Amino acid sequence: MTKSIKSLLARHEVVLLGVIVVEVILFQMLGRRFLDGSNVSNIFRHSVEIGLLALAMTPVILTGGIDLSVGSMMGLCAVSFGMLVNDASMSPLAAGVVAVGIGTLGGGLNALLIARLKLPPLIVTLGTFSLFRGLAEALTKGSESYSGFPASFLALGNSDLAGIPAQMWIFLLVALGIWLLVHRTTLGRSFRAIGYSPEGSRYAGIPVERNLSLAYILAGAISGLAAVILVSRLGEARANAGIGYELLAITAVVLGGTSIFGGSGTVAGTLLGYLAIAILNNGLSRITAYQLFDQPIASIARELSGVLTGVLLLLALAVTPIAKNLASRRSRRQISQDHPLKPETP
Amino acid sequence: MNRILCTLALCAVPFISACKKSGEAGGDDQLTIGFLPKSKGNQYFVTCEKGARAAAKDLGAELLFDGPTNSDPAKQNEIVENWISLGVDVIAAACENKDGLSTALRKAQDAGIKVITYDADAQPDARSFFVNQATEKGIGDALLDNAASLIGNEGEFAIITANLTAANQNAWIDAIKARQAEKYPDLKLVDIKPCDDLKDKAQQETTNLLSAHPNLKAVISVCSPGVPGAAEAVKQAGKTGEVKVVGLGLPSENKAYVKEGVTQAVILWKVEDLGYLTIQAAAALAKGELKPGATEFDAGKLGTMKIEGDNILLGTPFAFTKENIDQFDF
Repeated sequence: MTKSIKSLLARHEVVLLGVIVVEVILFQMLGRRFLDGSNVSNIFRHSVEIGLLALAMTPVILTGGIDLSVGSMMGLCAVSFGMLVNDASMSPLAAGVVAVGIGTLGGGLNALLIARLKLPPLIVTLGTFSLFRGLAEALTKGSESYSGFPASFLALGNSDLAGIPAQMWIFLLVALGIWLLVHRTTLGRSFRAIGYSPEGSRYAGIPVERNLSLAYILAGAISGLAAVILVSRLGEARANAGIGYELLAITAVVLGGTSIFGGSGTVAGTLLGYLAIAILNNGLSRITAYQLFDQPIASIARELSGVLTGVLLLLALAVTPIAKNLASRRSRRQISQDHPLKPETP
Repeated sequence: MNRILCTLALCAVPFISACKKSGEAGGDDQLTIGFLPKSKGNQYFVTCEKGARAAAKDLGAELLFDGPTNSDPAKQNEIVENWISLGVDVIAAACENKDGLSTALRKAQDAGIKVITYDADAQPDARSFFVNQATEKGIGDALLDNAASLIGNEGEFAIITANLTAANQNAWIDAIKARQAEKYPDLKLVDIKPCDDLKDKAQQETTNLLSAHPNLKAVISVCSPGVPGAAEAVKQAGKTGEVKVVGLGLPSENKAYVKEGVTQAVILWKVEDLGYLTIQAAAALAKGELKPGATEFDAGKLGTMKIEGDNILLGTPFAFTKENIDQFDF
């Protein structure tokens, strides 16, 4: 193996791309109508909210933080949106703007507690994780839901625009925005610097508090956007919207090669991690002709995709240390061969 | 590295050997039915699936069974949309979120897929038929008829309900009242108590009822936690057999009390038959044998079933008693 191929293989994104290609080939071979146009639309339509949360989560994790509240925030924004349209007869557009505003405010609360009061992000967002979901349940008394949205609004979540699901255009715009932010601005570079060394960043003159706040506020705003898209897809706003999505988003980011300790990672990696999970979730549910433990695979797709996502994530995390370990062992062996401890002749 | 790969390969062996190609799938002319429960782990729907599989076998149809494993409201929609692109012929759904799932079911109809609902209905425009497991009158009649025959058609009885505003429960209570007025002049309804769908509260309310109405002869619970709750109260008051307990609930939740003789009858439809009937109706709908406006249809081993409007009726509910409760596991 030449050195250039080796270094290419060592790149996380390339490995992930390989995983995606293997997934696609396997599902096309074993599944039913996997690469059918309408199913490819399904893959994206059903995962766009998780993709948005993963994009929102990337800057946060780059700073060495975490945001567990994004899924609950979706629930709160979804019911607020539903109430505004149904009870206050607001237009979906205006209500959507307010929902994103509520997300921004919720992100602001996280930012205040984390950046200003220096509380640990894990604990703060664990608190707001319960707080936001609790508020959503309180607003709907746990059982009410909102529906009867205009057809023009439902089209956002259910129709195609220029050949791809309409909501994908929003996703692509956000992805481009986050990529530009993280990789092409000083603010974005400061996220990695903060994650690498918050103290060092402060000495380097980076406004740590302000930039850290922006990462959480942005995450809140994007969660609000994801909530509106989810409601337009389902045609119903409920308090349990987005339940569990925060963990899938974090999985996508970490699978994409971003260090959970902050400091390193790419938006491209996040997008690939998200794709790998989205394809896995959909593909397993297409395998109707094969059985596992006397059940068609399609019938246990959800359980199986949970298991496989876990395996994939653990492997992705283990690959780097294993590769490093092997490399250092090989170089040690190389050294001992080049410089044998005992001379060959006395 | 090689050692790691070998370990992984060894781990994969049991999975691959457990994986086999099933014989039934394939043929283009074979009917494919998507069968969607409210949730997959629920024993009630597992029992439904058993009946559905039996019907699919009788019909030579392929059955896809999938449902949510958590409370994510998007999951049922995603399953339906996956089935649309899979090209199933007909979808049979029990709706967890009526309005939300209707969005996806309408999409299926637009794609030329027939839609039928069972257990919990969608919006009427999102499906052709609803397989109704029990009408309000059917449940009310079955509860009161069973209670009345246990106490010799005369005496005082009380009702335990979930809460006084629950639409389902109130409809059943109205049906009980109507049946009493029509058929049992010597029965007297003395009280209706809410239990907030909690077993403990039902037990407490029943204890109160027993002391407030010493001549009480039967307690009817129209919510499932109320049945074991009332039974526990009657048992602790030492009135086993003296005060009869009848209610709507799952046999499995009440087995112990029924066997002890505290609870005399648990009323529910035969869940397995619900799955069987749903698949028979779904297949008939897809083949064009069942059309809107029909008043009855032939459901295989269940015989001819009645249709009222767009509701296919499973028939009168079933009474689970000491004699038969062991045959059921849901």
